[in-house]
Amino acid sequence: MGTEVGPGAEHLMTWTCENIEARLSDYLDGLLSPDERHEFDMHANSCEDCSQMVASISHLVSGLRTMEQIETPPRLAYSILNQTLGPREAKKGWRGAFGWLSGLASARFAYYGVSVAATLLILLTAAGFSWRKPKLTDLSPVSIYHNADRQAHRVYAHTTKFVSDLRVVYEIQSRLNKDNELPTAPESTVPQSAPGKAPGSTDGSKPTTPRQQNRANGLGKAFEILASEVPVVSAQFCGRLGRRMP
Amino acid sequence: MAPCSFWGKLVTVAGFEADDTLEQDAQLVQQCLQGDGSAWEELVRRHTRRIFNICYRFTGNGTEAEDLSQDVFLRVYKTLGSYRSAHGGFATWMTSVTRNLLIDHYRRTKRDRITDSLEDSMPVVENKESAGRRPDQQLLLGELSSQIQAALIKLSPELREAVILRDLQQLDYNEIRQILDVPEGTVKSRINRGRIELARILQQMGVRPS
Repeated sequence: MGTEVGPGAEHLMTWTCENIEARLSDYLDGLLSPDERHEFDMHANSCEDCSQMVASISHLVSGLRTMEQIETPPRLAYSILNQTLGPREAKKGWRGAFGWLSGLASARFAYYGVSVAATLLILLTAAGFSWRKPKLTDLSPVSIYHNADRQAHRVYAHTTKFVSDLRVVYEIQSRLNKDNELPTAPESTVPQSAPGKAPGSTDGSKPTTPRQQNRANGLGKAFEILASEVPVVSAQFCGRLGRRMP
Repeated sequence: MAPCSFWGKLVTVAGFEADDTLEQDAQLVQQCLQGDGSAWEELVRRHTRRIFNICYRFTGNGTEAEDLSQDVFLRVYKTLGSYRSAHGGFATWMTSVTRNLLIDHYRRTKRDRITDSLEDSMPVVENKESAGRRPDQQLLLGELSSQIQAALIKLSPELREAVILRDLQQLDYNEIRQILDVPEGTVKSRINRGRIELARILQQMGVRPS
């Protein structure tokens, strides 16, 4: 609804703070007409006290409506039935013996059960309990302690090795990147004979620039480190290189 | 039930469920009156939680709420023959019985509460600690519920029952009018005053609902 402007607008802003207080619940429960709602908003937006009151009551109502229901005491329904229909007959046989189990068939109990089972599963697995070949001796405190200790050390060793491997790979990669960033000499500038040297004669130098030579040396060193630190990775890498090279 | 409320309920899916519940309750009551004990058991099972919650919110005490809930069902059982489905739903009628018992209980225990109120005036440490927090944060922490419950007990019984029925039980104005047996204007006025008074009490307790 748009705001009226002009001669008809003087009837707006006629609501007082008392009106706002009296119609506050109607406003919150959506019982005001569009015109009334508009006037309510106009006043509440321009009056700080009313604005605060509306916000405060609105939050309170939200809080009230999100309050959870209280759980009923378990014996209440039985007590009511005992008082109205008379004492309940005790169930006989299997139904009587296992009647208490019906109380466990609730969503909450199922949730607790699953949580406890999952926790036990995680703890026993972490303690090295073998689910494929379960032994009763694995459940003794000493075995659990030893298994947990062994598992912890194993996990620590694996983690350390993994971090170390990662570090080496990162180091190699950064070196390779660094070498790649260095500008290489264009092919047209490569083997130029030294002035004053006879054409065709050699001085024993290799037909590469020193920079290319350095790069080759760097790569060789990197592969040596890789071979020593990560034998599997380097073997694969070298194998791949070997296949490409004639 | 007024026709407008009836059609209002029909247009929503929830309305169909509500009408279905009303129908089932009416059938169960008929079976009870014919001496069917299992029908009464079913009625008890369906309404215990709601009645216990109303009693608990009104008294703020679990034991009292349990005793009062039992009294409510005992009275309903004895006066089931006086229930007429044409005058409204069984749940509304039962809530009306509950309300009457709660007011009786309030009057009976008024003297005890005068002594209790002296203890209530003692400063509460947890309220000071929570002062200044936003209510949505308090709600997340589960503190606001207990603070509102504490504030509810301080409301007058007329305002308290109106707020409980409207904002906790989320009944509509027409149902509350039937339960309290007062005109709809009085219902609206009590709900409004109850909310404002409750916010004021919470503010005094150091809880700012904003």
